[in-house]
Amino acid sequence: MIAIQTDDVDIGALIIAAKKHTTGAVVVFDGIVRDDDIVEMELEAYEDVAQKELEKIAEDATTQFNLLSVDIVHRIGRLAVGENILIIVVSAGHREEAYAGSRFIIEAIKAGVPIWKKELTKDGGRWVPGKHRHGSGTKKT
Amino acid sequence: MNVRIRFFAQFGELFGSEIIHESVPGTTLTSLIKGIAAKNSEGYDAIFDKNGAFLDFVILMKNGRRIDNADAGKTRIADGDEIAVFPPVAGG
Repeated sequence: MIAIQTDDVDIGALIIAAKKHTTGAVVVFDGIVRDDDIVEMELEAYEDVAQKELEKIAEDATTQFNLLSVDIVHRIGRLAVGENILIIVVSAGHREEAYAGSRFIIEAIKAGVPIWKKELTKDGGRWVPGKHRHGSGTKKT
Repeated sequence: MNVRIRFFAQFGELFGSEIIHESVPGTTLTSLIKGIAAKNSEGYDAIFDKNGAFLDFVILMKNGRRIDNADAGKTRIADGDEIAVFPPVAGG
């Protein structure tokens, strides 16, 4: 399941589905709205492009780390403190591949997928600055 | 010819999330965005430097593909193109 959606997802169901006959490890990454003195967080995506880029990242991770399955669910819309933002579930034969594959996916998402966060505070809001510079048009990892 | 321009995050707040712009054949990506931004001084300063070049962190896309800022001046726009302009991404 590779999706950009407003709804939350059943992580337990994803874990069950990720277990194949040859699975030896499943790694779950759950990115959560942190309470940085905010009321809510608003997420926006360039959905068509972001979806394709998530699919490409999943494909690359599968090839590079011999993953048996990859799920990526990135939520958009308004989220309260404590809610899930991003869920990544990877399945692999061994823990090294599962951990490395999961790490590859989250770093690739942060580096280049067109999604933005705005922290909504009592006094207004502030866009979370991206940490990567993209002026050359190429993705930095 | 008509071109769809999409702005995201703070750029969307400055220009609106989507503009359908009537443009003449041969228009470059740079002149297209500069023409739109010229009507909004705060927005212009968010995208262009004092010399009229795209600020380094600004990301450009044409039909879902990234365009190097250095190539925007020679990238021609065609009827039906979708252009996206946005700041560095911050998902995850």
